Amino acid sequence: MAMSANLLAVPVAAPLLTAALILLFARWGGRTLIRHQIALTALALCINLAVAVLLFRGAAGQGQQFVLQLGAWPAPFGITIYGDGLSATLLLLTALVALAVYPFAVATIDYHRARMGFHPLYLFLLMGVNGAFLAGDLFNLYVFFEVLLMASFVLLTIGAQPAQTNSGIRYVVLNLLASTVFLVAAGIAYGTLGTLNFAQIAERLPLASPAVRTVFAGLLLVGFGSKAAIFPLFFWLPASYHTPPPAVTALFGGLLTKVGVYTLFRSFTLFFPELLLSWQPALLTIAGATMLVGALGALAQPGIRRVLSFHIISHVGFMLMGLAVALSGNSLAIGFGLGAAIIYLCHHMIIKTALIMAGGAVELHMGSDRLASIGGLVSRQPFLAFLFFMAAISLAGVPPFSGFVSKLSLLQITLDTRHWVVAGVSVFASLLTMMNMMRLWRESFWGDYSRPSRVPSRILQSGVRQKLILTPVAVLVLLSLALGIWGEPAFRLSMQVAQQALDRQAYIEAVSPSAQISTLPAGHLTVPAESVSTNSPDGLSNAAARTPLVSR
Amino acid sequence: MISLLLAIAVGSLFACGTYLIMRRGQIKLILGLALLSHGVNLLLFGSGRLIEGRPPIFLNKTDYAETIKLNLPADPLPQALILTAIVISFGITAFVIVLVNRRHTVTQTDYVHGEFVPLLREGDPFDFSESTEIDQYDWLAYEVDEVYDSEELLTGFPTLPPSEQDESTAMEEDRYRWP
Repeated sequence: MAMSANLLAVPVAAPLLTAALILLFARWGGRTLIRHQIALTALALCINLAVAVLLFRGAAGQGQQFVLQLGAWPAPFGITIYGDGLSATLLLLTALVALAVYPFAVATIDYHRARMGFHPLYLFLLMGVNGAFLAGDLFNLYVFFEVLLMASFVLLTIGAQPAQTNSGIRYVVLNLLASTVFLVAAGIAYGTLGTLNFAQIAERLPLASPAVRTVFAGLLLVGFGSKAAIFPLFFWLPASYHTPPPAVTALFGGLLTKVGVYTLFRSFTLFFPELLLSWQPALLTIAGATMLVGALGALAQPGIRRVLSFHIISHVGFMLMGLAVALSGNSLAIGFGLGAAIIYLCHHMIIKTALIMAGGAVELHMGSDRLASIGGLVSRQPFLAFLFFMAAISLAGVPPFSGFVSKLSLLQITLDTRHWVVAGVSVFASLLTMMNMMRLWRESFWGDYSRPSRVPSRILQSGVRQKLILTPVAVLVLLSLALGIWGEPAFRLSMQVAQQALDRQAYIEAVSPSAQISTLPAGHLTVPAESVSTNSPDGLSNAAARTPLVSR
Repeated sequence: MISLLLAIAVGSLFACGTYLIMRRGQIKLILGLALLSHGVNLLLFGSGRLIEGRPPIFLNKTDYAETIKLNLPADPLPQALILTAIVISFGITAFVIVLVNRRHTVTQTDYVHGEFVPLLREGDPFDFSESTEIDQYDWLAYEVDEVYDSEELLTGFPTLPPSEQDESTAMEEDRYRWP
């Protein structure tokens, strides 16, 4: 037990408290106070990153599980916060992405949007995302979803330009529908299983009737899948991601859909691992359709950010493919698919953020992101062109970068399990990605220099602003390169994480929801008589990190 | 019997909400979202079992163990869940109303072509001193001048290809036939 599980509270509490502090003391005022806001936000992001690194070292590196029962209430009654390797990996990546986008945001968000509360909203979004990764029961997951949705609504429409309000309505309505479906799933879980705690649901679900399991899984697939932008439910994403300021798009593209992907991973591995086999054809079909529609849709788009937002959809399909083959394969390869999906998730979060930021820089220089009307930036911004190129080939999966490792491992497990069609579709989608990336780079950097907009370019020429825009992109590209070069240890780590995530029994025992009450068959809401008097003698309810059992 | 009634109520709320969301009007959209959230709240309410006459709070402290043993108390959790859900949906409804109002204002009054250029501040981003020319840098000036795709806007209304003219574009161009 190297670390206290109390660390789990920091990724939620630090952004929340800092945002509250900003709203209290630095809200109304001129530019001096905005400078204070920036300093406070940067401080919170650094704290968040430090804690995420610590948690990652404990959870993914040493295989610990962190369980924090708030207020020391035992599991099914109190609020459970749970962190294992999967959560810690996503926390770390979220912290990295948030910290990397922030300098870009500082450099490109104008004074008036900052006055409307951009910086506290940034923190609220981070808090919601972190909380969703850590939530240990369905209703808190819903609440954190709503927190991040509310923050993203406002960030999407901040400034209230016509295009933003138009896209904002689509985004808001479709995401609210997804939340409604998810809340229905939570209600059904409580009505039929009598609990909302993840561990207790996982404990009771095998006893429930198949109808309950199917309905619950279907509602979760629709609700989470809509957040993750899988095939028939992705329409909110390309309708909205090209309208806010580029910094907001970079943040959204790095974080938002990944919350949906994480909840899909968590719910399917914890609640219905058997459905990963029996629903495998459906999941693979959805994954293939998502990949194909994303890549083909990107081919038809006229602007940089529109192309990139369609590629987000395409990549969600790859992750879903990894989840669908998570449990198949021979006995040695259990978890290989999920491990590949996790490393793909890491690669995607890093490089997609870098690419959207680079695209945003192009857009700021040109005043437009319409590919037909821009071009020739390579002579004016050679470093930006270089970074954009590196990020683009990493996204397409060219060897020294992380895209190659993650795509190769996904393809390997898919071919091993003899899913030829979806493997072929993924290769085809990768090819389309390559074409699209080359199209983006050629159209924006080659050709005659033409600037469709009359934005005074001198506002981009200051050295500090150039550094703030380009440094995070460079850092993320280097990270992707490192992930590709040290692919083997990274992959071994993600295999450990995947096997920890697939180990349901360890989760249930770590949270131990039934240490205080006896488990009865589903369908009854029971409070046994001695619930108060007999505390469990082994003291399972203490809020300490416990080392898990050996994985199966 | 009462649970059947509740099921019918939940179902009809969902049906009405779905129908209203699929209509074109924006007020109907808000109403549809509100009805859907009511439906979910009722569903959560039903998840706690509808049984008469069971207290969630014990006034008599002596025999509460017996009451629990007989599985008598009502479940207070769904009410707490509904309360949270109501608060959340209240906030979101307020936001959607503001958003729809803003869109209505924009499309009804003035025809605004483009978007703000996201970068409005100039100079050192860490330099927020009050006395520079930044203060005279009128952000409204950008609204007219610095729009995207200005080569299209210079000739008046943008002529997008028909494939890109969706409903919202039609609304912005005052050609939209309100239902």
